Amino acid sequence: MQTLAFWVLFVAFVGAFAAQVASRVRLIAAAPGAFALDDMGGRARRFLVDVVCQVRTIRERPVVGLAHAFVFWGFVAFAGYTSVEFLRGLGIIDLTDTRWFFAYRVVLVPFAAAVLAGILFLVVRRAVFRPATLGPTVSIESVVIALFIATLMTTFLLGFNLEEASLGGRVNWWVHMLVILAFLALIPASKHLHLVLSPVTVFLKSPELGRIPNLDFEKEEIGLETVKDLGKKAVLDALTCVECGRCQVNCPAFGSGKELNPKTLILQTQEAVLAGERDRKLGDLYSEKVLWQCTTCGACENQCPVGIEHTPIIIGARRGLVSNGEAPEYLGSMYNHLERRRNIWGLGYDQRQKFVTSAALEIFDPAKHDVLVWLGCAGAFEADFQKSLRSLFDILRARNIRFGVLSKEQCNGDPAKRTGNEYMFQELATANIDELRAAGPKKILTSCPHCVKTIGEDYRRFGYEVEIVHSSVFVAELMRDVRPASAEAGARATITFHDPCYLGRYAGTVDEPRELLTKFGGENVELKEPVRNRDNPFCCGAGGGLLFADKEEEPGSRISDVRFKQLQETGAGTVVTACPFCSIMLKGAQTSAPANNVQFVDLMTFVRDRHLTKSPDQRIP
Amino acid sequence: MILVIAEHRAGKLNRATWEAIAAAQQLAAGQPVAIAVLGSNIGSIAAELAAAQVQEVVTLDNPALEPYTPDGFTAALQQAIDQLKPSIVMLPHTYQTRDFAPKLAARMDRALVTDVIGFKLEPRGASPEPRFVRPMFQGKLTADIAAEGPAPHVVTVQIGSFRADAAGKGASPAPVRALAAAIDPAAIRQRPEPPFQEARQSVDLSQAERIVSVGRGIKEADKLPVAQGLAAALHAELAASRPICDAGWLPMERQVGSSGQTVAPKLYLALGISGAIQHLVGMKGSQTIVAINKDPDAPIFEVADYGIVGDLFEIVPAMIEALKA
Repeated sequence: MQTLAFWVLFVAFVGAFAAQVASRVRLIAAAPGAFALDDMGGRARRFLVDVVCQVRTIRERPVVGLAHAFVFWGFVAFAGYTSVEFLRGLGIIDLTDTRWFFAYRVVLVPFAAAVLAGILFLVVRRAVFRPATLGPTVSIESVVIALFIATLMTTFLLGFNLEEASLGGRVNWWVHMLVILAFLALIPASKHLHLVLSPVTVFLKSPELGRIPNLDFEKEEIGLETVKDLGKKAVLDALTCVECGRCQVNCPAFGSGKELNPKTLILQTQEAVLAGERDRKLGDLYSEKVLWQCTTCGACENQCPVGIEHTPIIIGARRGLVSNGEAPEYLGSMYNHLERRRNIWGLGYDQRQKFVTSAALEIFDPAKHDVLVWLGCAGAFEADFQKSLRSLFDILRARNIRFGVLSKEQCNGDPAKRTGNEYMFQELATANIDELRAAGPKKILTSCPHCVKTIGEDYRRFGYEVEIVHSSVFVAELMRDVRPASAEAGARATITFHDPCYLGRYAGTVDEPRELLTKFGGENVELKEPVRNRDNPFCCGAGGGLLFADKEEEPGSRISDVRFKQLQETGAGTVVTACPFCSIMLKGAQTSAPANNVQFVDLMTFVRDRHLTKSPDQRIP
Repeated sequence: MILVIAEHRAGKLNRATWEAIAAAQQLAAGQPVAIAVLGSNIGSIAAELAAAQVQEVVTLDNPALEPYTPDGFTAALQQAIDQLKPSIVMLPHTYQTRDFAPKLAARMDRALVTDVIGFKLEPRGASPEPRFVRPMFQGKLTADIAAEGPAPHVVTVQIGSFRADAAGKGASPAPVRALAAAIDPAAIRQRPEPPFQEARQSVDLSQAERIVSVGRGIKEADKLPVAQGLAAALHAELAASRPICDAGWLPMERQVGSSGQTVAPKLYLALGISGAIQHLVGMKGSQTIVAINKDPDAPIFEVADYGIVGDLFEIVPAMIEALKA
């Protein structure tokens, strides 16, 4: 009788669960495109680290992350227990009397305790302390689920004290099983679907940050215009969101008072997908203005513990707008410059030539040169950044590295790509690849992190693979065996390093710049770290085309002003940069800020000035 | 005979007309130059034009020609050209010219050479033929163009390529003659609305010939009069780089740079401006750039034609004194 009742309930609730999950899976299946499955090794590794070991969840918010990890590990540990009890309830087989099952239950006790502690902490935090990042209202469903989990653990522990056959024991068992069934039926329609989806989403997440596939113009792809254009991964992402708010809290646009909120963006997508609003325009769903507030810094995507990729959605939607001629005005002139002069500022090519001549640069010849130096737009045209490059050349020459530059370079295409002008990007990329292939370098060296990302990763999609390194990495390696002369007497200086998003976050290069700064700073220089550093910097505000944005378009404060304040708060007198655009934005912020004495120096100039401009007897061979 | 077509609006002659007159006089090299002016009640404008050293000023005065419409102007000019038989019709390369000159040339099936910045005289047969020089590919190259086919050839000259004050003035006013032109108002298809200016800008820096621009080097808002004094002495407009406008010391419409205005005046004086690229791209097209900055390494000196490394609070007052003398 009990078994029959259990079967009925089992079929009903599990059926409800399965039906809801199936309808969501259908939504994913109906979306265009396919899942990428390259780099299985990397994916497996990330699965192990982020899902099994919960590293990403814990790192950003250690206490909360650990509490969640306890709950997660508890769930996994209990899988065997739950299965055995269901098998018993369904009358299939009863393994509950065995010795190993009892041992298993004993082993589960600390897990249950951990889960209870974890879930109680989390529900009190959510319902009583109400952190802003979880939203303005308390989700009743979250509280219910939390109480379910607490009940499950409590009934499990009570099972040790209650006689199975007694009334108490049987009620306890039924409560436990009913809660599981109710839980099952509830999760698909809530964010707890991540229990099922997130391991998949994390596994399917692209191996590199910010992967934006090429548009295939032969197939007349123009980007994402409506909800039905969202690809399978994007739909899966939208359904996986746990609303934790890590993306929101790390977003520089959100953090400077803009409307853009990556969490809201994903939840809006989820709502539209579930409501079946296939023909809803994305520019309308997200509000177009919001789409242009993104600097593509990648913080959202990098922080997400469940594998959501925000940047392909935002850039995809931008493509949809640009393809329909709806880019903001300030991008129009940037595109014109790219089209006519092949650089973002529309400056004449003779200026690059002037620099090449004045810096006595040779044209790259694979027979003569070890490495090709890629100047980039800033290197070719921006007087300030050229000082940094001159420092780099001095270092290379002092260490007898033979290097050359291309005779013809065009913008690598990053500003076009990240703002959704894919056509312009492909034009620039294919032209550059032709030049690069003809030149045939084995290694490319550049001081611009955007060039590193675009040439190193985006160009691969055209079949061009080359090793490209940022100057900080190259020079750090070059100087590894160098022991700087003893520190000069003098006042202590405090410096701080602003990690460029495309270097620290995208490329993961965080140690080499610090190695150089501490080695060549010596004892007299103290390196301070700002809030938001290393692989989670707060953007300078230049990326995603925002270098050219007008003030009129920006509500809130300027991202660069917010970041400058963070750097000032370290108390450092000098900010070291390693990207031409960070330098432009932060210097601009410095002049706009109330009177201050903050100095800026590029990393290469810092190294060169301390390494090369010592008197001959102190100079390192 | 070279026929110059004058341009005016709201009773004022466009300065570029004088540039076209100067160009025509140089090209004609002794041969007659005449001016045609179209509109309604244009007597005073014609009188103004009569000061030029030209053979005559011809008016096409017809209510149908006010306001300007391409249909009206083309119909009237076609008749005028039929009567006057010029060898070259010359116009300044303004927006209005761009609107009807191609239509006129196509209607007459005659050659049109636009945006001319100069000309050369090439000996060909008995009399020299002009070669019109014009920029190509966004100014990367110039081309020498020979207009072929029967006269008249229609030529437009780039604003600023010829100096308006080089237009020769006659010893006595040239004769003004009315030309009869029959224009059927019903045949004019355009119905222009009144012109308007976007409300937000009270100063249009892109029209300024001279600009005095201030940057962070001015230090405080109450030091601005130093720059304003120089601007006044030079009859120049005042402009600024971003930090000045951000701080509210000058209105946003005076900001020059990639997020402000792009200007290309004859003279750009940069006071205390470092020359960061965001500012540079807004003024690099200036014909002559003078920079004053304390920092000898400031990037502005890379683009300046003349640079002074020094304290602007010493130099600018000295400049104002020198200008007053």
